[in-house]
Amino acid sequence: MSGRRRGEKESTVRPAPASGDGGVWYSDDPRDIGWVRENIPCQSACPAGTNIPGYIQAIMEKEYGRAYEINREANVLPGILGRICSRPCEDVCRHAQPGNGETVNICHLKRTASDLKHVGHRITESLYTPSGKQVAIVGAGPAGVAAAHDLSLLGHDVTIFERESDPGGMLRYGIPAFRLPRDVLHVELHNALRLGVELRTGVEVGSGEGQTPLTRLGKDFDAVLLSTGSMAPVTLPLKEGVGKDNPDSIEGVEYGLYFLMEMHRGEKKTVGKRVAVVGAGFTALDCARVAKRLGAEEVTIHIRTAEEYIPVTKDEIFECKREGVRIKGLRSPAQLSVDDGGRLRGIEFVQNRLGGWRENGRRAAIPIEGSEFFEPCDTLLIAIGQRTVNDYLDIKLELDRWGSVKADEGGQTSKKGVFAAGDYVSGPTTIIEAVGNGRRVAAGIDTWLMGRQRRRQVVRIEPVDGPLRERGFDFIERQHMPTAPLAGRNKELTREVETGYDEALAATESKRCYLCNLKYQIDVDNCIYCRACIEVAPKNCIKLVEGVEIREDGTYGELLETSEWDEVGAIWIDNNECIRCGACFMVCPTKCISITRNEFVTQDI
Amino acid sequence: MAEPTHNVIIGNGSAGNGAAITLRERDPDSRITIITMGSLPFYNRYDLPRVFRGCDDWREILVHPLAYYDDNRITLRRNSRVTDVDGRSRSITFAHNEVMHYDQLLVCAGGRGYLPEELSDYYGLMHGFHSFEAAITTRRALPEGGTVVMLGGDMIGLDLARTLIDVGYRVALLANEYTFWPHRIDADERGGFIAALEHMGIEVVDGMRPVAVEEGAAGTPARRVVFDDGGSLDGDVVMPFYGLVPTAEFMLRSGVDIERGLLVDPQLHTTDPHIWAAGDVCQIWSAADNEYRFYYGWTNVRQMGEVAARNVTGTNEPFEGVDDERLHIGKDGHILSPFWEH
Ligand SMILES: Cc1cc2nc3c(=O)[nH]c(=O)nc-3n(C[C@H](O)[C@H](O)[C@H](O)COP(=O)(O)OP(=O)(O)OC[C@H]3O[C@@H](n4cnc5c(N)ncnc54)[C@H](O)[C@@H]3O)c2cc1C
Ligand SMILES: Cc1cc2nc3c(=O)[nH]c(=O)nc-3n(C[C@H](O)[C@H](O)[C@H](O)COP(=O)(O)OP(=O)(O)OC[C@H]3O[C@@H](n4cnc5c(N)ncnc54)[C@H](O)[C@@H]3O)c2cc1C
Ligand code: SF4
Ligand code: SF4
Repeated sequence: MSGRRRGEKESTVRPAPASGDGGVWYSDDPRDIGWVRENIPCQSACPAGTNIPGYIQAIMEKEYGRAYEINREANVLPGILGRICSRPCEDVCRHAQPGNGETVNICHLKRTASDLKHVGHRITESLYTPSGKQVAIVGAGPAGVAAAHDLSLLGHDVTIFERESDPGGMLRYGIPAFRLPRDVLHVELHNALRLGVELRTGVEVGSGEGQTPLTRLGKDFDAVLLSTGSMAPVTLPLKEGVGKDNPDSIEGVEYGLYFLMEMHRGEKKTVGKRVAVVGAGFTALDCARVAKRLGAEEVTIHIRTAEEYIPVTKDEIFECKREGVRIKGLRSPAQLSVDDGGRLRGIEFVQNRLGGWRENGRRAAIPIEGSEFFEPCDTLLIAIGQRTVNDYLDIKLELDRWGSVKADEGGQTSKKGVFAAGDYVSGPTTIIEAVGNGRRVAAGIDTWLMGRQRRRQVVRIEPVDGPLRERGFDFIERQHMPTAPLAGRNKELTREVETGYDEALAATESKRCYLCNLKYQIDVDNCIYCRACIEVAPKNCIKLVEGVEIREDGTYGELLETSEWDEVGAIWIDNNECIRCGACFMVCPTKCISITRNEFVTQDI
Repeated sequence: MAEPTHNVIIGNGSAGNGAAITLRERDPDSRITIITMGSLPFYNRYDLPRVFRGCDDWREILVHPLAYYDDNRITLRRNSRVTDVDGRSRSITFAHNEVMHYDQLLVCAGGRGYLPEELSDYYGLMHGFHSFEAAITTRRALPEGGTVVMLGGDMIGLDLARTLIDVGYRVALLANEYTFWPHRIDADERGGFIAALEHMGIEVVDGMRPVAVEEGAAGTPARRVVFDDGGSLDGDVVMPFYGLVPTAEFMLRSGVDIERGLLVDPQLHTTDPHIWAAGDVCQIWSAADNEYRFYYGWTNVRQMGEVAARNVTGTNEPFEGVDDERLHIGKDGHILSPFWEH
C-alpha cells in the first residue's frame, strides 16, 4: 500500500497562516485541493466545475445576482444551462445518497439565479491587458462561445466564423424554444461575446466555392480553434428492403437532426398523423414533442433498450409523456414498408433483449431472431445519434478510431496552433461538457500563445462562525418545477413548458442543500473524548480513527478506523458522510469543532 | 455459531407471502423479514370490493390470523418504505433512514395503478382503491346512491363496478384502450363486451378523452371530468383504472436490469446473483413469445412467489404461467373472466 503512512497522526486542524486576511487564507496544499475535489460531489461532477454550494447559499440569502455571477464565472451560460443542462451533478448529489432522500434541484436553482436577479443586474468581469494575439474560432456553439468569452477576457482578439445566420449552434438550431426561449439565448450569447469578439455569421469554413479555407485562417491568426460540433446524423442500419442505404429518400422519412435544424432556420415542417421516432436521446425527445405540436395524433418513441437508460433527465421524459408521447422499449427497426405510391406506411421492428454494458457506457440490446413485428406510421424521424464531419478541413489532422480529431489535454491537434474543442472532439455530448471543454481549451490556447500558464486554481479557506443550516432543513421535500398547463401546450411551438421557481419555492429548495463546501473538523488537542458529538450525530459521520492514509499525491485517503480506545489517534469527521447538520457543533462542550468554507478560486501566477 | 441467512422480502402481497412460507418450510433456520409500505398484515386485494358492502373492520379481510407471522418466525415490518437497494453492499435503505442487510433479496413489490402522465396534475382530485384505507376513504366520499365516474375500467375496476351497482350506486365508465386490462381484446369483439357492460348496468361513455378533473360547482356533484372536446361528466368520485405498472423505482440504483418491471429469467432470477423477483413487479423472459412479459392475476402471482423461494433455496425450476386470456360473456349476458375467479 504505497504512500500510506499507517497510524501516522495528522493534525486534524491546521491553523491559519499568519498572513491570513480577516481569517481567510489561500492554500495550494494537495490535502486542501483533494478535500474540495472529493467532498463536494456536485462540483466535481460538473464538467465546468461550477461552485454549486456557493451559488445555492447566495440564493438562500436572496442574493440572486451574486448567485448568477458565481455561475457565470464557471459555466458562462447560467440561464440556458439552468433550463436544459443534462445535470450530471444531480446524479451524485450527497442529498441523493442512500438514506439522505432525493437530490437537490441544482439546475432549477441555477435557473432561479438567472430569473430572479435584478432587472438592472450588471455583469462584472475583470479584463486582462490586450495581448495583441489573434484567435480564430470556427463554430459558434457553446464550446466556441465559451472559449471566445475566456480568450477575449484574457486580452486576445477573437473572431468567430459561423456558417449559420445566427450564433448558438445546437442551442439555436437543435433545441426547441419551448425548452429554451430565444430571448434567454440571445441575452446570454450576447453577454458572452460582448467583450469585443467579432462574430462573422454566414461564413462557412471549407475548401468549396465561396467558402473560407482553414489554411487561410492559419495564416491570418496566431491560433485557430475548431468547434464545429457533431453535425451529421448517424444513418439507420436497416437489415434489408427499401431505403436500406438511404432511408431518408423515402417520402415520410427524415433525419431528426435535419428536421429540427430546418424548422429552426424558418422552414415550414409538417408530419403525418402517426409519427414514429427512433432513438433515445435529446434529439429523439425533441422530435417527438415538436411532432405533437405540429398536430400529430399519435407519437411513439421506439428505443433499443429501456426507458431507464435514456440519457436525458427524468423530468424531460415525464413532460414528454404528459404531452401524450409514448415510449416503447426493447425494439430495433429492421425494415421500412412503403405503399404503392412509395410513401412510408410502417416499420418492421425486431424485438430485443437487454445485453451487457457496451464500451461507451450504454446498454447493449440483443435482437431476438424471428421476433419481427409491424407497426404502422406515416412519418419516421430518425434520431439515433450524430457524428463529426471532417470534410471541410484542407489540412491533414490526425484522427482517432472513431473519426474524431485527436487533441491533447490543452486541446492542441496534431498541427501546431490548431486547437479543437466541444462535440467536434468528443462526439455528441452535452452543453455543459462543451462549455467546460471550451474553457479548458481556451486556457490551453492562452498558455500556448503566452508561453506560460497564467492562472491556477487554489483553495480559499474561510472560517465560518456556526452551522448555516438547521437539522429540520434535511426533511424538506424536493420542490417540483412548475409547468405550463397541459391544455393548449401542444398547440404552441414556442411557449416555454417549465415556468420557473418563484422566490418562495427557491427559498425552500435552497435550504435543502447541505452546503458541502463547509468542512467540519475536530481539534484533537482540545477534544476530551466525551463522545457527545457521536451521540447526536444523525449519520455514521464521526469516527474514531487510528490515523488517516496519505496518498502519493499528498491528498487524504481512507480513514483507518478503530474501536480500541488505546489505538485511537483522533476523532475524525468523515466529511463524505457528514450532512453538515451542525448537531455536533452545537453539542460539543469544549467547542473543539470548527467549520470552514473551502472553495476553489482562480489566482494569477 | 454462524449467523443464519437473512432472507428479505420486499412486498406483503400474494407473491411475498407465498415466498415467505415456502422459504420457512424449506429453510427452518433462516431469518425471514417481510417489508411493506402498507399498515395492515396480508389481505387479498381482490376482497376489497367488500368494503362497499359495509365491511369496516380490516380484521375481516386478513388471510391469516394475526399470530401467523410469529408462529412462522417471520418478521413483518409495516409502514416501511424502501427507497434504495444496493446490490453491491447487499443493503436496503428505508425512507426513515434505516439500513438493513440481506443475504438474499426477493422483490415482490407488486404494481400500482397507472395514471396517464397527462392526468397526473389531477391525482389529488381522484379516489383510490389500492388499499383497504383508500377503499374506506372512497366509500365515505360517496353519498348513498351516488355516482362513480370510472376512467379506463380495467378488470380490477370492473370487478368493483359489479359490486357498486349491486349495492345501489351508479357507475359511469369512460371506456378506452385500458378497458378490460389485462385482457387483450380484438377490435371486432369489443362492441359485444361493451354491450355486456351496459347490460350489467354500467353506463358506458366510449371514445371520449378526459383531459381534466375539477371540483364540481356548488349544488352539483363533487367532481367534474372534462373532455378534450370541452364536454364534461359529473360524479361524486372519480376513480382511475388504467391497469397496473410495476413498483420498481426504488430498484433503479440497485444494479439489476429493468425495462418496465424487473427483468428476470424463467427461474425468476434478476441479473444480480442475490436478488430474485416475483409477482406484478417482474417481467419474465418467455422463449415462446420471444419477449419479457408480465403474467397477471393472483394465481400466477402466488405461484411465482413459491417458485422464486424454491430457487432461492437451491432448486432451479422455471415458472410456468397460466396464460388464460379468455374474457367471455356468461348465460346471463354478463362478462366473465378467469381474473375474477378467486
Ligand atoms: C436536438 C438537440 C437537443 C439537445 N438537447 C440538449 C439538452 O437539452 N441538454 C444538453 O446538455 N445537450 C443537449 N444537446 C446536445 C448539445 O446541444 C451539444 O452537445 C452542444 O451543442 C455541443 O456544442 P458544440 O459547441 O461542440 O457544437 P454545436 O452546438 O453543434 O455547434 C457547432 C457550430 O459549428 C458550426 N459549424 C459547423 N461546421 C462549420 C463550418 N464548416 N464552418 C462554420 N461553422 C461551422 C455549426 O453551424 C454550429 O453553429 C442537444 C442536441 C440536439 C441536436
Ligand atoms: C385493488 C386490486 C384488486 C385486484 N383484484 C384482482 C382480482 O380480482 N383478481 C386477480 O387475479 N388479481 C387482482 N388484482 C391483481 C392481483 O392482486 C395482483 O396481481 C397481485 O396482488 C400482485 O401481488 P404481488 O404480491 O405481486 O404485489 P402486491 O399485492 O401489489 O403487493 C405489493 C407489496 O409490496 C409493497 N411495496 C411496494 N413498494 C414498496 C416499497 N418501496 N417499500 C416497501 N414495500 C413496498 C407493498 O406495500 C405491498 O405490500 C388486484 C389488484 C388490486 C390492486
Ligand atoms: S447537497 Fe448541495 S453541495 Fe452537497 S452535493 Fe448536493 S447540491 Fe452539492
Ligand atoms: S454536522 Fe456533525 S453531526 Fe451533523 S452530519 Fe456532520 S459530522 Fe455529523
